This record gives sequence, C-alpha cells and structure tokens, in this order.
Amino acid sequence: MWSTAYGLIALAVVAFVVLYAASHAPSFASVNLADQLYYAKSQLESSLPSLPRTDKPAYFRVYSNIVRIEVANATYGNHSFPVELPLGYRLAAREENLLYEIYLDVESCRPVSLQGGGAAVLYAVELRQSVDVLPWLAVYYADVNAAAYYGQLYSLYRAWGRPPAVGLDLGAPLSKAEWALVYNATSGSDVLYVAAPPSSPYIVVEDYPLAIPLACPR
Amino acid sequence: MIALRDLVIFAGLMALAAAVVASLFPAREGVSPVPACSDCALKLTGGYWIRQYGNYASLYLGTREAARYGWAYVDGRPLSVGESVGCDPMYLWVLNGIAYVSCNGNSPAFGREVGVLAPAAAVDISADSSGPGCTYTADVVSNVMNGTVVTLDVYNSYGELVYSASGAAPTSFTFSVPAAGTYRMHVYAPPLLDSWYTLYAGVQISGTKFVVYTGNNTQDLRPAVSLKVFDLTGFWERGYGSVVVYVDPGMRSFTLSAPTGAFADFLLAWEDCPNCDPTYGALYVDEVWRLTFTQSGPVLAHVFSQGGYWHKVYADGQLIWTWNMQGPKQTTYNGANPSIDVRFASQASAMDAEALFTKTCSWS
Repeated sequence: MWSTAYGLIALAVVAFVVLYAASHAPSFASVNLADQLYYAKSQLESSLPSLPRTDKPAYFRVYSNIVRIEVANATYGNHSFPVELPLGYRLAAREENLLYEIYLDVESCRPVSLQGGGAAVLYAVELRQSVDVLPWLAVYYADVNAAAYYGQLYSLYRAWGRPPAVGLDLGAPLSKAEWALVYNATSGSDVLYVAAPPSSPYIVVEDYPLAIPLACPR
Repeated sequence: MIALRDLVIFAGLMALAAAVVASLFPAREGVSPVPACSDCALKLTGGYWIRQYGNYASLYLGTREAARYGWAYVDGRPLSVGESVGCDPMYLWVLNGIAYVSCNGNSPAFGREVGVLAPAAAVDISADSSGPGCTYTADVVSNVMNGTVVTLDVYNSYGELVYSASGAAPTSFTFSVPAAGTYRMHVYAPPLLDSWYTLYAGVQISGTKFVVYTGNNTQDLRPAVSLKVFDLTGFWERGYGSVVVYVDPGMRSFTLSAPTGAFADFLLAWEDCPNCDPTYGALYVDEVWRLTFTQSGPVLAHVFSQGGYWHKVYADGQLIWTWNMQGPKQTTYNGANPSIDVRFASQASAMDAEALFTKTCSWS
C-alpha cells in the first residue's frame, strides 16, 4: 500500500521534471526561405493567365493581383480584331515568412535605332519588387514574327469570341533580350529598359519561375 | 527482487537531484542549447533576451551568450545599438542570419511592401458632352472594405462651390456643369486619397476668316477677317444682366440680355464686302447672329441684316437665311448635335467665312 503511494509520488515527480524540461527546451523548426520564395512565385505564375484584367487606371492603382491591359485592334490579313495588350501587373503572394510583391508597368515604348544601325523597340518598364535583390532577373522577347503570331491569336479570337491577351493566352518561343535596370533616385523606383526587335509582339520579364509578358501600348 | 516501483523511485530521485543541482548554477542554464542555424524558427522559454551590439546581436540566457546573429529586429523594428529586448516565451525567427524577435508569436515576413497590398483609393474620371452642358463621372474605387467615405467638391473659377457630394467607396459621382468655364474638382478620402483635377467645359471654335473676342472690337480687319465672334459666356457667368457689344469702327452696338440656363453664348458679326464700305462705315453688321448653347442644344438666332450684296447663311450645311435674293428666311435654327457649323457666303466670295462650334468637355 505505502510502496504504491511512494511509487505514485515518484511518478508525479518524474512527470513534472520531464514536462518542465520539455517545455523549457528551445523548440526548433527550420525555415526554408528559398522554398517559400519559389512557391510564392510559382503560385503567381500558374494564376497569371486567369488574373482579372482591367483597362481602368483607378482599378489598377487600387487592387492587387490584377493586370492592366489596353484593348487594341490587331490585323491579320484583311481581318481586324481586338486583342488585349498586357501593360502592367500588381502581384502579391504571402508565405509564412515571406512577402513577395512585384509591380511592373510599361511607362513607354518607342522605336529606337541601335548603335550598330539596326532598329529596335525600347520598352521602359517601371519595376518595384519587395525582395530587394532580384537574384537572376532574365528578360526575353517573343522570338516570333508579329504577323504570324497575330494569325494564331485571330484563330483564338474566332474560337473564343472574346479578345485574347498577347503573351498571356498564347505563348511563343523566347530569346534573350538586351536589358538594363536603372535605379531612379528621384522617384525611388527602378526602370527596366528592354530592347526588342520591332517584329516581336511582346517581351517577358522573368523572375524565375514567374514569367511576366508585357506588350507595347498602341 | 527489484520491482518496477523501485526503478521509478530511483529515477525520480535522480531527476529531482539533477533539477536541484541545475537550479544551483549561478546562471540559469537551459536544459538544451540553442541550435545554431541561419534559417529557422525557435520558441524559447526560460528567460532569454537579446541585445544589439555595434555589428552583431547576442542572444542571452541569463548571463550566458547562447547565439550571435547579424542584427535583431523586434516586431519589424530594428534594435538600436545597446538596446535589449526580452520576453518569455520568446519567438525567434532567424532568416539569412538576421534575428526577428516576436513576443506574441506573429511570424515576421521577409520582404518589404512596395505598395501592391497597401490601402488605396483611386478615381477614374470620364467626360460626356452629348447631353446638356458637360456631364462628368468620377468613379471612386478602394480596396478598404469598411466603406471609406469619399467626398467630391467642384468649384468654379471664382472659387464658389457648385457641386458637392459624398458616399462610401466604391461609388460613382455624376454631375453636370451648367455653364462653360474652368472648374476645379477636389476628391478626397483621408488618408487614402486627396487629389485635385481641372475640368474644362467649353466650346472650341475652328474655321476660316474668323477671330474670337471676349470684349468689344471695333477694328477694320478686312480682308483677313470677315467674321467676328464675341464670346459672351464670361459676362453671364459674372452675373451681368445685359451687355452692349460694339462691333464696328462706326461704334454700332448690339444690346444683348442674359440668356437663362445657357451653357455658352456668342454673337457673330459678319462683313460681306472686302473693300466697298469706308473704314468708318457700317462694318461687320451685314449679318449679325446670336449662337446660344442652351441646355437642349445650340440655337442660332437672327439679330440683324443689311448690305447691298446677296448673303447666304448655312447652319450645319443647310441654307437657313438669304438676303437680297430668293431663298429661305428662317430666323431661328435649332441644332441637334453638341456641335454646330455656321457658314456665311457673300456675293464677294473672298468674304465667305465658316466657323465650327464644338462643345468640348475634358479634364486633366
């Protein structure tokens, strides 16, 4: 009888010590920021074609995960049909320990002549990013003739009955474009300058795996 | 025989002794050390605290240094040098060697905000010139869901409030400005939105051989100018009951009274001959018409005619008035569009004049 009581008391003491030690040991979990960043960007990448699109400046200034578009007339042969030109993005994804935000907006797009004598289209894209170091920013242009590309878009338009979006609804083979990222201390934002061939219908700014197509406003 | 009971008693006594011995240490030692890591999340109990030094931050348990990090942040704020923070339990996230301390368990997020998720409100403005006056629409949208109150005020060029409204975003304000002029629009929803816009409501005039005046003009401007257009809108806006307009070197005048509810008002004075009248004779009075943009549209009304040559007056390409010849004698023409084209034709074709008045509503 007494020995059972001693046993119970001893058990209580052991339980106390074990619980005390367990609750005072540092609990540990590893945090993998690289995985979180990759997951945030790949999530955005997969939702990119289905994001809401707007041509109203106020909507683009207010809402997140939205694409700014301009509806323009494209021609294929003697057909004229509307297409959506993606001109700006406000994207955000939140992970456990990471806030990924990216803001892209085509400021201007104009033909220039290159030093070598060739012609190009120079995009100026405002770029803001929440993770300061853009690790491996890659910029591409759609390596396809615009006339052929718009021919494919026209068949999409015929099939869907609504304007297809350049770059978002139909991909094209990509080639590396020349680019420069310029920090503007006056406005506190970065401007990404991209030179693309005049025949290319759009460019792609890639923060791998997130690839964002941008077109030239008319 | 050793029973299980004896083993339990022995283990209990050993653990008790260990706890007593541990509590006798000068610094309270944890039962296990803080793991060294560069990317991890820790929950620390037992009196941990962190202190920021010039180029590193130290995590202490009692007086013993447990780990070192690049810099310490507490609830998003970096610690200043010499500052210490302690709490029990302490949540510690180590990301890229930087320590983020939280006392309430909210996990810190790596990456700064660039405004994509920030609370915001914005305005889209559109202008419509098809109806009476100029109609403006301001669409206000906001991503703040609890009904941000937006106020819109419109002032005329004298600073008088002509329109005011407020509502909870998302909302749309539609208002029309009754008279031509420049207006200032203030849209505000503190602290999200505070913007000023300029609204231009007016009538643009294009054509040939005409000049626009906002006051008297008695010069002989032949042969370059055959049509003088006097813009009277500003006088009515200033509250005049009537005005006297002098149009020619002979100081001939026309008295006009204020129209009610007009958007814009013009007096058109036309000369039919490049050289026949003397300089101080009756010039620019061969055809005198008044063009009033009323709330229902432009109205062209006959005021005065004279002269030896034949004249023709066309409104929107339609012959409405003739002088010294066979033809229609219509003294009033009601335009159906927001714009009206007025053309004067003379026997001396060098004095033919045309003016296209287009109501324009714009903003910037």
